Amino acid sequence: MTTKIRIRRVSKTYKTDGEEVRALEHTDLDVGEGEFVSIVGPSGCGKSTLLYIVGGFIPAQGDVLVDGNPIEGPGIDRGVVFQEYALFPWLTVRRNILYGLENRPLTAQQRAQAADRLIGVIGLEKFAHRYPRELSGGMKQRVALARTLACDPVVLLLDEPFGALDAQTREVMQDELLRIWLETRKTVLMVTHDVNEAVYLSNRICVMSARPGRIIEEFTVTLDRSAGREQVMLSEAFNKIRNDVWLAVRRQATAAAAQAETPQEGTPQEGTPYGSAAA
Amino acid sequence: MRTDAAETSQSMAGTLRSIISVAAVLMAWEIAARLKLTPALFLPAVTTVAATFVDLVSDGSLPLDLAVSLYRAFAGLALASVVGVTLGIAMARSAWLRWLFDPLVALGFPAPKIAFVPIFILWFGIESASKILLVAFACVFPMVITTYNAASAVNRTIIWSALSLGSSRSRLILRVILPACYPRIFAALRVAVPVALITTFTCEMVAGGGGLGATLMYSQRFFESPTVYAYIVAMLAVGLILDKAMLALQERFPAWRDDGR
Amino acid sequence: MGPRLPDAAPWLRSGRATMRVLVPIILLLLLWQSLGSFHLVDTAFLPTPVLVARALGDLMTGHEIRDNILVTLLRAGVGLGLAIVTGIWLGIGIARWPVFRSFVSPLVGATYSLPKTALVPLLILWFGIGNTMAITAVYLSALLPVVVHTYHGVKATPSVLVWSAQALGSGRRELLWRIFLPHALPDIFTGIRIALGFSFVVALSAEMIASTAGIGRLIFMYGENGSYDYMFAAVASVVVVAFLADRALLALGASCLRWHDSALAVET
Repeated sequence: MTTKIRIRRVSKTYKTDGEEVRALEHTDLDVGEGEFVSIVGPSGCGKSTLLYIVGGFIPAQGDVLVDGNPIEGPGIDRGVVFQEYALFPWLTVRRNILYGLENRPLTAQQRAQAADRLIGVIGLEKFAHRYPRELSGGMKQRVALARTLACDPVVLLLDEPFGALDAQTREVMQDELLRIWLETRKTVLMVTHDVNEAVYLSNRICVMSARPGRIIEEFTVTLDRSAGREQVMLSEAFNKIRNDVWLAVRRQATAAAAQAETPQEGTPQEGTPYGSAAA
Repeated sequence: MRTDAAETSQSMAGTLRSIISVAAVLMAWEIAARLKLTPALFLPAVTTVAATFVDLVSDGSLPLDLAVSLYRAFAGLALASVVGVTLGIAMARSAWLRWLFDPLVALGFPAPKIAFVPIFILWFGIESASKILLVAFACVFPMVITTYNAASAVNRTIIWSALSLGSSRSRLILRVILPACYPRIFAALRVAVPVALITTFTCEMVAGGGGLGATLMYSQRFFESPTVYAYIVAMLAVGLILDKAMLALQERFPAWRDDGR
Repeated sequence: MGPRLPDAAPWLRSGRATMRVLVPIILLLLLWQSLGSFHLVDTAFLPTPVLVARALGDLMTGHEIRDNILVTLLRAGVGLGLAIVTGIWLGIGIARWPVFRSFVSPLVGATYSLPKTALVPLLILWFGIGNTMAITAVYLSALLPVVVHTYHGVKATPSVLVWSAQALGSGRRELLWRIFLPHALPDIFTGIRIALGFSFVVALSAEMIASTAGIGRLIFMYGENGSYDYMFAAVASVVVVAFLADRALLALGASCLRWHDSALAVET
């Protein structure tokens, strides 16, 4: 299996108020083609930071290679789905999805067809001409996913994509994502704080240590997902893996709590990307 | 892959650029004036303006004019605040007052109050009274609107708690609602101060009767450019100082700050 | 079954709502009229609404109001238009390019505390009395609100929006036109609304201080001649025009900003 994403000795330091905060310390990670890898870890460990680095949004030390090439900033090869507020509010659902299609070498008609097909895939035909403010959280995330897929990216980066949704919607969306992944077999790197979600969706889980973050443990997940959600989540295999992962994260969380002065997740000093741009 | 840039040197460079920018403008001005690139009438040298400024301050004429203008602006603002806050709270508490005044406020708010200068001169003459009242007229609208919005938004649970603790109506207004509105009223005041100043100066420029605006017009009519520039600088300084003062007040009295909302 | 009214005029939607708005105004007019009719106030100082209305009628038919209001509107409009175009660019520049910001923003900030009408005597020295002076004064006063609000709107663009666009292949230019500007549009509209108010005030001030035309000059002239009913009529026309201009802008904003969370609809 070829390695799609290669992360080597990535480190990130933030300077705030004269103090230095090491968010990531020599992190290494490989993601193979077609794999669904989840990164879990305690709050503030830097997992989202790592994802943003792979996305090319923030600079860092170390190397990130996609298909053997080092990345230079954000790119159409790495599609991203953020937790929220990522849809362009001034565009309708259809136009949001078309935005992604515009950078692909297609004719206008092909773009229109692709957009309509994707809207069908996510089941929002009736809402194609609505604005994001008229949609529920789950619908918005579906559009975000469709928009990213419209670009046909090489890899998919997901930053807690369902974290802002209620529990039921989250489960529905997870099944959607699973279905789409099984169809497209894209390489996926997902960050989540929900261990159940990680086990349900991924075939490999990486546990990140408390700050400064590095990958501390890895779990391979082999589950027969064809049996449906109830069977999977109630099976012994699922629960064994889930307990192991949960314990691993818990160990890191306890270690994090023991550290003096632990700032919260999202490094508010830098400003979360969900707020104002640090232009 | 991109690496971190050194950020501290960037912000120092920023401050330096700002200083250079302002200094460059002043120097260009001085050079243009000295080289007589434009007639001295249009653009007296910075140094000439500065010297004139010092003269005007030391012979007392500028401070006197300043005092007159400030008196008018603040008297008008005080009047507008009292009327505006009272009316705003009253409108928030009484549906029929709201009905009565809503269209008037809506109609008056976008209207340029300056258009009423000749009316106020007709009614109240060209001395301070007309200016104070015009300032009050101009400033009352933002005060009413902001107070009304703030008073309407006061959390119902705060009001209910106070009522259940036995507050009488007047106590409720004075001790609960009004303080809850302080931050936004203060914010409205910060906006109203420049309005008060502009209205005062413009009224003086149009109608005369002493003050910074009137002297500014006289200087222009007699082509005394250094004085014109000096008075503009004075107005600018007044505006700046008052704004900074209000910011400092806000720091000093945290109850007036709009945090934790 | 009558015709459907457009959404931009919600205040016309129901007859009852119109009554609600008009009755207090009618009451005020009645009160005003009674002050004169019952000789509580000298009608020289406060002409009754009837007299004012008659004067207004005269002025409208004689085209004085129309001609002069057009002059004022022209000056305010041109100044405002120029301020919008340059102000938006300045605001974007200050928000997006730190080097530009450190050079320009102290200059822009310095003008914040200066009442722009104070520049009128200066502008008279440079340009004499007339359109150039008035338009320049309007431009200078309208510029700052547009710049500040554009800056704020651009600066407040959430990183995830920018990053999403970048991950969809947008370059710098596309980001500017398709992300930053649309996001800033609601703020820009607020800035323009404020600038509109300033434009009227400064245009009128410039005309009252020294001009040969414009509604400000007309009001002043009637005051000096003692034709107070005409003076009041002219003032009333200004109030109405300013009100309508503001409403028109709000309606425009409502239709352009249908997508916005706060639904910038017509509000009081």
